[in-house]
Amino acid sequence: MAKSKPANKYAAAKRPTLSDERKFGRLGYFVGRAVTNIRQNVLINVLTVVTITFAILLVSLFLLVYVNLQGAVDTFSEKVQVTAYFDNELTPAEFAALKDRIVGLSGVDRVSYVSKDDAMRRFRDRLEGQESILEGVPSEVLPSSIEITLKRSQRSSAAVEAFVKRLKTVSGIGEVQYGEEWLRRFSTFMDFMRITGIVLGGFILLAVVFIVSNTIKLTIFARKDELEVLSLVGATRLFIKIPFMIEGVLQGATGSALALAILGGCYLVFLRNAGNFLSLNPVTAGITFLPVEYLGGLFCGGVLLGFFGSLVSLKRFVSTDS
Amino acid sequence: MIQLHNVFLTYHKEQTALDGVNLRIPKGDFVFLTGPSGAGKSTLLKLFYAALRPTRGQVVIDGKNVNRLPEGQIPYLRRMVGVVFQDFKLLPNRTVQENVAITLEVLGWGQKDIGKRVYHTLKQMGLEHKMNSTPLRLSGGEQQRVALARALVNEPRILLADEPTGNLDDANKEQILNLLKEANIRGTTVVVATHDRRLIDTSHRRVIVLDKGQIVEDSHGQE
Repeated sequence: MAKSKPANKYAAAKRPTLSDERKFGRLGYFVGRAVTNIRQNVLINVLTVVTITFAILLVSLFLLVYVNLQGAVDTFSEKVQVTAYFDNELTPAEFAALKDRIVGLSGVDRVSYVSKDDAMRRFRDRLEGQESILEGVPSEVLPSSIEITLKRSQRSSAAVEAFVKRLKTVSGIGEVQYGEEWLRRFSTFMDFMRITGIVLGGFILLAVVFIVSNTIKLTIFARKDELEVLSLVGATRLFIKIPFMIEGVLQGATGSALALAILGGCYLVFLRNAGNFLSLNPVTAGITFLPVEYLGGLFCGGVLLGFFGSLVSLKRFVSTDS
Repeated sequence: MIQLHNVFLTYHKEQTALDGVNLRIPKGDFVFLTGPSGAGKSTLLKLFYAALRPTRGQVVIDGKNVNRLPEGQIPYLRRMVGVVFQDFKLLPNRTVQENVAITLEVLGWGQKDIGKRVYHTLKQMGLEHKMNSTPLRLSGGEQQRVALARALVNEPRILLADEPTGNLDDANKEQILNLLKEANIRGTTVVVATHDRRLIDTSHRRVIVLDKGQIVEDSHGQE
């Protein structure tokens, strides 16, 4: 048995500098460690970044199509109008009072008055080329009316019907028309769009989370020896996890930035060349890029995907059993 | 330093790995654990660095009862226990210096102090000229010395070695044994699990023989 214990050179030596006493403390160490890990595991990191890039690209492409379809539907929904006819012809003062009452109803966006002359002009415009039919017909035969445009959120079939019920209670209002059949079809189409969007978007999101989390799980599994060694030399769970989570954040940020850059590039190329293979001008057709808040959301989504993907995977591989 | 009182350990409720082990290894001791495969040598070592907890009985390491040690305290216990394995467990994408530095990074040392200490330890192991090599460019003996350097760089109170010479030729075996002895002389308690009868016979140290999870012999050698 060796009982002698010679002087330990380091026991008497100056206390070592600890990393949290240095510039940026432990955070500096962890970020440095994460960057070094990326450098030492280039292939694994490239694989993760490419996976995140494709995942975010898929989601953002879906959103781009959805946002533009929604925009087209919104523009189309401007045609949802309620036309109200009066019991009797109104004087300008009576019309002003009635207009105030209608504007006061919930769901009204704007109101416009269509006089007998306006009505005749529109009728004539519709009969383009056959205006002679109306020769000798006085404008008094057509009634004056009021056209009510509803707010965007009130353009569903049920909402319009409810509005019409409220409108009919206003005294002075006679017949009300709102194209029930057309509106019902339009509402069905809008519901279909919404449900398809949610289902498809949900599937894409699930697939993306599944693929990315499994890729990260595999990459962490490939480094399980590193986790084991760290655990053996006395690293706390947090010490082991933090550099991996920083790596996850960096991978997520890089992947989503790349995806958005690719999406932006594709969008510009499409704008320039759409005229060659489509019979529409994308600019006049109202095709737009994703709004800034969507881009920010997608970027943050990528970062969170990297962060939580690492966190969840590490939970499985980091333990004190070695 | 290490005390076991009536320790039982059962895997999957059936397979008994340790069967009523009582053991006391004082501070500064150098002990060989030996016995046939499956005798419980590695299981015993795992208890010493809290990778396993006993099914029954008490395990006390440097005054800390492993049974009652909270999960969050295990890393702190491991910081005073160095471990070496037959398969070295070195990280192939890090240099020798980085592999050894891990132990000190975990302790929170600054890079300058780490550099000095790692160099000193690698010099003790005769590997200072290989600092920037990656483990795969080293021989088996050199890799084991790197693993030993990683385990000893923070001067742990206990060093556990599980078949440390299993993959080595005679010259390298002797070199590793000498390094273990040097660590012991510097005050570290050393426990070596091995099959290697020649290594045990030439060392003249305390030998604990295990069989079927029980200590069947405990002989104090004389150097």
